[in-house]
Amino acid sequence: MSSISCTKLTLFTIAAVTVQFIGLSIFVFGFFPVKPLLTGHSGSKSFRRPTCDIEVANQSDASLPPDRLRFLYKEVSEVPPLYDRLVLMVIDGLPAEFVLGKKGQPPSKVFMEAMPYTQSLLANGTAVGYHAIAAAPTVTMPRLKAMVSGAIGGFLDVAFNFNTQAYLEDNLLAQFFKIGRKMVMHGDDTWLKLFPGLFERHDGVTSFFVKDIVQVDQNVSRHLADELSRDDWNFLILHYLGLDHVGHLGGRNSALMASKLFEMDEVVKTIHINTLQNLEDDQRKTLLVVVSDHGMTENGNHGGSSYEETDSIALFIGPKTHAFNHSSSNHDTIFQVDIAPTLALLFGVPIPKNNIGVLISQMVDSLTDDQKLRALQLNSWQLFRLLQAQLPGLSCRNFLCDTFITNSEPTISECKGREEKLFCCLYLNAATLHDAWKANVFSRSNGTEGYNSIVTAYHEFLSSASEWLSHKAIDKPVNLLVLGVAALIISCLTLLGLVFVIHKEIPSWETQDHENYVKPWKFDEVFILFGILILVISMGSSSMIEEEHYIWNFLTSTINMLFFRKAMQSLDLNKVHDISGCQISSLFLILFSGRILGGWHQGGVNWTNLPDIAKWLEQAGNQYINWIQIASCAMVIILGISILFLMKSKTKVLTVIGFSFLMSGLLVLHHFVKHQDISASYNKDANLSIQIFYAVLGITTIAVVVILPWIMTMQTPEICSRKNICMSASVPVEIQNMTRILVLKDSLYIVGCLYITFWCLLQLLLQQSINAMPVLLLFIQFLASMLTFSSSGSCHKQWVEVTALYNLGMAGHFALGNSNTLATIDVAGAFIGISSHSTFLSGLLMFIITYASPMLFFLSMVLYISVKTTIYAPVIRNGNSGQILKTLLGFPCLVPLTINSVLLTVYTIVLLLMRNHLFIWSVFSPKYLYVCAATACVYIGVIIVVATVLHTYIVLFWLRKSFSLSSKDKGT
Amino acid sequence: MDSRKAAMVETSPSISVSEAFIVNALCVLALAFAVWASNTVFSIDLVSHPSLTLFFISIAELPIVILLYSRYRQNRQQCTYLRAVARGVLGIPVGTLLNFLGAVALGAPVKFQYLPKTINWALMMSVFTTVPASCVLGSSWADWRRIFAQTKPKGSIEYLICLPAHGALIGAWFGAWPMPLDWERPWQEWPISVSYGTIVGYLVALVASLGFILACFRSQHIKSE
Repeated sequence: MSSISCTKLTLFTIAAVTVQFIGLSIFVFGFFPVKPLLTGHSGSKSFRRPTCDIEVANQSDASLPPDRLRFLYKEVSEVPPLYDRLVLMVIDGLPAEFVLGKKGQPPSKVFMEAMPYTQSLLANGTAVGYHAIAAAPTVTMPRLKAMVSGAIGGFLDVAFNFNTQAYLEDNLLAQFFKIGRKMVMHGDDTWLKLFPGLFERHDGVTSFFVKDIVQVDQNVSRHLADELSRDDWNFLILHYLGLDHVGHLGGRNSALMASKLFEMDEVVKTIHINTLQNLEDDQRKTLLVVVSDHGMTENGNHGGSSYEETDSIALFIGPKTHAFNHSSSNHDTIFQVDIAPTLALLFGVPIPKNNIGVLISQMVDSLTDDQKLRALQLNSWQLFRLLQAQLPGLSCRNFLCDTFITNSEPTISECKGREEKLFCCLYLNAATLHDAWKANVFSRSNGTEGYNSIVTAYHEFLSSASEWLSHKAIDKPVNLLVLGVAALIISCLTLLGLVFVIHKEIPSWETQDHENYVKPWKFDEVFILFGILILVISMGSSSMIEEEHYIWNFLTSTINMLFFRKAMQSLDLNKVHDISGCQISSLFLILFSGRILGGWHQGGVNWTNLPDIAKWLEQAGNQYINWIQIASCAMVIILGISILFLMKSKTKVLTVIGFSFLMSGLLVLHHFVKHQDISASYNKDANLSIQIFYAVLGITTIAVVVILPWIMTMQTPEICSRKNICMSASVPVEIQNMTRILVLKDSLYIVGCLYITFWCLLQLLLQQSINAMPVLLLFIQFLASMLTFSSSGSCHKQWVEVTALYNLGMAGHFALGNSNTLATIDVAGAFIGISSHSTFLSGLLMFIITYASPMLFFLSMVLYISVKTTIYAPVIRNGNSGQILKTLLGFPCLVPLTINSVLLTVYTIVLLLMRNHLFIWSVFSPKYLYVCAATACVYIGVIIVVATVLHTYIVLFWLRKSFSLSSKDKGT
Repeated sequence: MDSRKAAMVETSPSISVSEAFIVNALCVLALAFAVWASNTVFSIDLVSHPSLTLFFISIAELPIVILLYSRYRQNRQQCTYLRAVARGVLGIPVGTLLNFLGAVALGAPVKFQYLPKTINWALMMSVFTTVPASCVLGSSWADWRRIFAQTKPKGSIEYLICLPAHGALIGAWFGAWPMPLDWERPWQEWPISVSYGTIVGYLVALVASLGFILACFRSQHIKSE
């Protein structure tokens, strides 16, 4: 059997990991495009021509009081606001088909009759309706953002916004607020989350109880009469959730749908009649806009990008019949993002900065030609600025800055070429024509013809720019994705090959009992591979991803049961003191702890409301949780110290390390007792004690890891003397090596104990107090596994044991309350012990809390390597450095890397295949973020393990010359 | 020691193919009868009344299994038929307890309302797994270990014990997989899908054991020739 050298193995592994990292980055940036967004809000500058110079921030806007700002806008915009008041009625989930019909056909009779008033408005031209195509994901929050900002956000924008849900980018509401408009909101509380503090009055209803289809809407409508009689608002938002709930319950053709539509029709009627009344009374013009955020499928679901889901409605109902050109087609198709710029221009505010929508020109028909062109011009300027941000090459410098109005006939050039050139050309065409039109203000001989050509030119620019921008936000570059997946597959295959190669090398300690190799595959080995296969298959199912904790729990306990069975194989009832007896009892402990861990949090998505131990304890009262927390902490300290003293060779160092366990444990205990009921993050005193703990932990760990091998080296003569081999005058190299191995084993054992004990203490402090017991149970599980594997000898293959531990870590990950939705990330814990806001530190703490259990697995690998060292001893005694290191580190590092690589690769492919799935945004994408974070966790864990072992090894084996000389000197 | 054990194994009764077929057929018939009777006579099924149905299946299957397997007990000289039956009866609580613990360790709910379901399922499992073994093997730890921990059956009767027991266990294990899916079907509840898996696995393994016994006889034939 050819064997691979250590250097080669390392190089291949590093290459594979690098390729994996590059592939992953390429894929992530291809799949979740992060587009450059413009920060800040549009001001009066947006009414000026975009220039090429680096635009200086206009300070004057911000300092202006709302009234002055309003007048300023009015002055510079040259487009008078057409309306004073806006009623935005959002009917959640209403497909435009219900009101406008599909493909020129009127809607079905039931729906026509359900909305008599609205249909009459549409028929006489008072209302104009559009199919507004929404972008995926068709769920409420991103759609609301699109409507008020005109921008399509990426997935990562949402995902990385842990701290606040507030919408910080430029939007209509912020613009209205700036010019002192008063806003009122009744309905879905998503608005309150997005725009906290902007509303004068509000009544939020929650969308949580999907079965409630009556009360949600009554809670909105009950304010209607009161609000309509008041005149202190300019912008009224009504968000009705009932129709969406009806859809979720019974689908499109639910029997309740017609009555719900009739209810909505009544609301429209009430508002419109009131609008007409107001117009007569005080000449204030109110615009009623009825929109839906998304449509629904036949079954009433939404989230994907099918026509049924994206077909939302935009219905503009003005006060007067002549407001809209009756003759024009009533059922045009627009994009949902077009609502934002239209409303902005109708109400005299700047168009939001990141808008990619185009003005609905039918809505400004009542303006003069000059004003209409001006509106188009403003929209073009805004889009041009956005294009400039996304296409750095779009300078148009030569043309833009030097263009001046000439009296000569404007020239229109054919536009083609790359994006930069194309947009530049289209924009310049329109601008030139417009400038020429303005110059000839007194001699408009060619009348409508000239005007129409300008409008066409503007529309050409606007539509192509808008289309390009929205594609940029949605489209995924196929080449990048394929490249990324290919890189991932290559690295995955490389890692699998490496594991296979080192598995094939029959280690010499196995050659004695060749019986193991008679039967090539044992049941547990087959099962481990089968388990990975099951994991891979289950990743294609959205509900298996939601309920992933069951899979890990099931696989882990099955593996432990198989180990149980294996221990039974050699159990002899006649011999009482058997090694397998110890194995069986610790396996029993693992299974028992695992069962409690499984029942601690009812994880996942569908059954979270079922009772579990955590909920039961929370109901029982806080004092029990606190007692459990303190008891767990004490147990961790006791267990840590006792495991430490289980070490076979006793040295004085043990006492010191044990003392450090005790001290840091007491610090945590002290914190628990003192700050039981005060939330730790707001208490200065508590903060200080936590920071002291961090410092003690960090310093002790680093000091021990760095110094311990040196101290152990000094103490080697003692070990030697005890073993009575070192004192002889001529020490054979083999025995010298053997001594070093023993020292290596001891120091790794101490470091391993230190790692996992300190990690558990840290987790006790950081995790929610309800998670104290699971942390203890995990600690117990890992210790019991070490005990099992230390006594199992070469009964299991090493990769089987490492995989079993990996599974234990993943099962623990879910047992700590994590799931594959972003909602379970413990954000509150990320601020423990941090006195000033720091994104990096909070992110680090969040990572430590979320990946507590997988990291515990990696830290326990150090202990595992130490425990297994004696078994490799025969190899190590004869081997060179490379072989020793390969034996020590090969499987513990390669197996986790490989498993993770397989899961990552498969999941990437699944994500690619599922990109049009209904749950791509709600289930698959969040899970992908977890998979990426798990990959980072594997990298960090492997680096820690390798660094620790390598450092210890180098100190012990490279310094052996000096140290052995000195010991020899003493000896002779 | 080893030679003596080997000698004992050889003295343990073997079963002819036709006999094995009859035993298997009777087991299948009893199972089919139980399912049919619970459906028609008591008008209950696994989905509507899981614990009652499971109990009924166990009760119907139990006497057949005990009476049939006790005929093939080891050490006929020292062990009477009645004693084998008594051993089989003793195997019920032991097997129920073991299967119950196994199910709970693998994630079966432990709430009070699920207790009868779990117990009845464990009872059925014990009929498929431990009861035949305790009828035939008695309290011989070495044999139990060989069959259940090492899966190395020797002789035709041991195939008849080992394979159906493993089949039932593996079937139950696979039967648990649909449970977390969000299909919202009534049969996804614990322990319905698991029981289906158990029964299917048991039936498949019964057929497979016949095949093994056939192969076993063939090889013996060749050897003797």
